[in-house]
Amino acid sequence: MRRVLLAAAVLVAAVAAATTLATGSGTSDLRAALLAMPLTRQLGGDTTRVIMSDDSFTFLASNAPAKRQRVFDFGNRVFNTKWAQYPSSTTSFDGLGPTFNRNSCSGCHVRDGRGRPPDKPGDPMESMLVRLSAPDGSPLPAYGDQLEDRAILAVKPEGRAIIDYQQIAGTYGDGTPYTLLDPHVHFVDTAFGSLDDALVSARVAPAVIGLGLLEAVPLSTLQALADPDDADGDGISGRINWLTDAQGNRVPGRFGWKANVATLADQSAVAAVEDIGITTAMQPHQNCPPVQQACRDAPAQADPEMKDSFFARLLVYVHTLAVPEARSLDRPEVRRGEQLFRRFGCAACHMPTLQSGPEAALPELANQTFHPFTDLLIHDMGEGLADHRPDRSASGREWRTAPLWGLGLILRVNGHDRLLHDGRARGPAEAILWHGGEAEKAREAFRTAPADERAALIAFLNAL
Amino acid sequence: MTTRRKTWLGVGLFALAGTTVPALGSPPAIDAGAHQPAAMVAGTATDRLTLLAQAAAGGGGEGGEQGTVPESYALPSADPGDYKYDARDEINAYASGVYESYVASAAEVAKLQKAVAALLANPNAGTLAAARAVWTAARPAYLVTEAYRFYDGPIDAIEGEINAWPVNEAFIDYVVGAPNSGIINHPDSPISIASLIVNNQATDESDVTLGWHAIEFLLWGQDLSATGPGNRPASDYIAGQGNNDRRRLYLKLATDRLAEDIGKLLRAWAPDVPDNYAAVFRTLPEREAVGRIINGMAVLAGSELMSQRMAVGLDSGDQEDEHSCFSDTTHQDFVYDMEGIADIWSGRYSGYAGPGMRDLLTTVDPDLAAEVDGLMADAAAKIAVLGDPWDQVLASPPGSPERVKAEAAVGALGDLAQGLKRAGGKLGVLVQIPSG
Repeated sequence: MRRVLLAAAVLVAAVAAATTLATGSGTSDLRAALLAMPLTRQLGGDTTRVIMSDDSFTFLASNAPAKRQRVFDFGNRVFNTKWAQYPSSTTSFDGLGPTFNRNSCSGCHVRDGRGRPPDKPGDPMESMLVRLSAPDGSPLPAYGDQLEDRAILAVKPEGRAIIDYQQIAGTYGDGTPYTLLDPHVHFVDTAFGSLDDALVSARVAPAVIGLGLLEAVPLSTLQALADPDDADGDGISGRINWLTDAQGNRVPGRFGWKANVATLADQSAVAAVEDIGITTAMQPHQNCPPVQQACRDAPAQADPEMKDSFFARLLVYVHTLAVPEARSLDRPEVRRGEQLFRRFGCAACHMPTLQSGPEAALPELANQTFHPFTDLLIHDMGEGLADHRPDRSASGREWRTAPLWGLGLILRVNGHDRLLHDGRARGPAEAILWHGGEAEKAREAFRTAPADERAALIAFLNAL
Repeated sequence: MTTRRKTWLGVGLFALAGTTVPALGSPPAIDAGAHQPAAMVAGTATDRLTLLAQAAAGGGGEGGEQGTVPESYALPSADPGDYKYDARDEINAYASGVYESYVASAAEVAKLQKAVAALLANPNAGTLAAARAVWTAARPAYLVTEAYRFYDGPIDAIEGEINAWPVNEAFIDYVVGAPNSGIINHPDSPISIASLIVNNQATDESDVTLGWHAIEFLLWGQDLSATGPGNRPASDYIAGQGNNDRRRLYLKLATDRLAEDIGKLLRAWAPDVPDNYAAVFRTLPEREAVGRIINGMAVLAGSELMSQRMAVGLDSGDQEDEHSCFSDTTHQDFVYDMEGIADIWSGRYSGYAGPGMRDLLTTVDPDLAAEVDGLMADAAAKIAVLGDPWDQVLASPPGSPERVKAEAAVGALGDLAQGLKRAGGKLGVLVQIPSG
């Protein structure tokens, strides 16, 4: 127990170091150096696991010390726990809701993988949620900043979000037609007033692999990669989504679809209280806005519903989920796809290689060279993807470059290939075709490329 | 949401057959809801060989609730002379043993149905105590079948409906501090088998409303005692009072559903049925079948039992973080899960005896077979002496004799799992033990 708590303290301290050490060294030098590094199958550096099954995303980092396994297993238990309504016999695992989206972490992050939109409009959202805010960007007084579409028996859910799609026709450069699905969210059964004027952003659950490595990328790297004013004139800005943390420090956002969360501790605590209704020491208050009287009246324990020692182990778990090895990188088509990935300009934001610094939450995450295919920065992605909902310092058109590691295994792990923040894209090609704004040139390079080049690029993505 | 990708043959056979899933159709092994064929990324042969070679070199890792199912269980080998053995008798014996075990379990569950009927006909302390006793007595015959999990077999498709835990008590019925809680006390919520199924882990993870432990909760009630099990009054089942009729209906539906589910498993494994799971299983390439058999044993020992049911509870410090918490019968869960593993090893099942995995391994490596004998005996012995009831072990302080014994059992199960992994290596099959 003491060991675990110590580990949690180290996690927090190390992250603080990684996020406040600013060196601000040669910008383009580091980018060029990272881009010059060869891609290897070890997408997660030494943490990489070799496995190809439904459970590809569920393994402990392969370089973790043996003693980590039992802590990781317990964290896995917490991640998989179907939280029970309070009060229950298993007093350590109750406190669900009163309102919630799912009753476990793994309910959305199925097998530590990726969520998806419902099959049919009107079906319940099982692995995604909808963020809300008032027109001025503040949380809605009656709903907060997220729609909880489930609740314990005595409490009403806040409402339900339904996604309808409009088909958008397009053609590749060679005349091949394609169709994209353009989502529109509307609400039914709203319990606390209309949401017609709310700013709305639907988000699927992202995969949970490799996150500890991303947290350990030094701030200096993010600063070197960022080009907020497009000083190099390549049409790509790339900004850090700066946040103010609970201690009042200015810290870079790294996690979430808009990089609106700085640390895995914050991400986990906020997800626990908002998505499941489980309080922690970091988020001690039930998620019940003042007008939600039944929610506020529901019986609940005063102490954090998730014990500190459980939360610490959950953090170890989400830091150390391994990245699976890439497959088929030696196949000629895949090799060609990698070259095209760079030639089309994808690699400008989807940075193939990053490195963690010496300061990491756990030693196995430090000093790693890995291949996440993200720069952790936010970019203007154009009108097509815009949600018009600002999030921290991100605008309604800006999104964080999504990591691409594990992309080719999503179908295997989660049984679908829905991509982008709201899962609108059916596979990588549609995801690329939705890119706009700073990515418009890269998208056009793909769209107008011959079919064999497009296929090679997709083969490369599926090898990741 | 995420479709459960349940395929009766597992992916190994598809890879071997060189065909796609839909082409094989969906063998009507059991009728447990909609099963959509796997949408799989077709790996290249190179991928598969790479994967298998490296996994064989010391893979391991952690699995989800169904265990890790690889492309193929057969370890690659450059020498066609490797792994030449005749396991047909052992594979057939396994299939027969599995079937007879489910026959035995079905008989016990039929007794439980009768006991529940007697309780509902005449609810009093005597009939309630009798129903509890029958529940407890019916458990072992099911528990030994848990070693048939973890390879995408018939049980893996419906295990969540049969033996999932922990139960979301307050979703089912009243609990202390919430006297009106639960679907039973919400007359506007229909109670039907359809509504219970919908609520039982409706998609991937949700409320556990069915199965052994839901019935256990309905018979015992919450375990709020530091020293004994739950103590629900028999008056909860007197007809016509409060919401008792809804509770009576719930108990009957849940018990009948358990019987139906065991019946599905029994039919999936029944002999001489041309197109059920057993028929396909018996004709699998030998190493694909042996791989399934050994993975089921190893994953139960080294992950489910050792980690999920023992170590996690020992580490959580929660007295009721145990498998059968309402009845305080978790110790027998451990004992008979272990017995199920040993049955497959020896080939001596309830109601059937034939050559076991031990006999097979003896033909290949008698020394290792003897070593695994020892590991089996050691794990069984260390489980036998565990504190009972288990919640007393969970409540005991670090360093106490009860905890020392529990850690010894955890260690012995880990050793057994590693021994089975080595046995798999000798037999040319990949053994992937979550938490391994």
